[in-house]
Amino acid sequence: MDEQEAYTQRLKAAVHYTVSKICQSTAAECEKEMSRQAVAAIAETTFRQCEIFAKDLEAFARHAKRHTINVDDVKLLARRSTALSSHIQQKSEELAVNNQELKEKRKKNAAKRKSKEMEGNEADEAGDTEN
Amino acid sequence: MAGQEREVAFKKETISKLLTLFFKDEKSKISNDTASLMAEMLRIFVIEATRRAVKQAENEDCVGVDLEHVEKILPQLLLDF
Repeated sequence: MDEQEAYTQRLKAAVHYTVSKICQSTAAECEKEMSRQAVAAIAETTFRQCEIFAKDLEAFARHAKRHTINVDDVKLLARRSTALSSHIQQKSEELAVNNQELKEKRKKNAAKRKSKEMEGNEADEAGDTEN
Repeated sequence: MAGQEREVAFKKETISKLLTLFFKDEKSKISNDTASLMAEMLRIFVIEATRRAVKQAENEDCVGVDLEHVEKILPQLLLDF
């Protein structure tokens, strides 16, 4: 139980770190300073909000009779605000395109590696016969 | 500045660990894409919270953003997400 708590604390610290970075950069844009308590409050809120998000996502996936949470579940999570929902939609499309490109690159690389291996093998064989 | 802002985001690993921590069912899993999308969602959440707090501070003609400003914007923020 204690270990569990330490793990939670570590995750909370990680969230706090990123939240404070985002806060500082956003506040700098608006030429304002954030106090440490304000940042801590936002970090804590984010952490708790994450719990709500996680439970919602789990329920959505369960409703679709899945155990793995999908990109579609996240879209459903963002349905309440139009702007957010269209932003998430756009991001997910970007991710899909990126994945497609990565896959194609991997395929090409794999093909290259195969042809190289073949060449290598041929060279080895040539070397073997010479020896 | 905008380029810098892009770089500040949650790590995929952190998000996926965080979400898995809150799941009730141990069988629930999260795909890689979903983790990055959730990272973006939380980034928006934090930016929105900060912007609203900054605006509240501006309305009150304060130099810095303090806890009270965050407290004031919190209820509406939570209703909007």
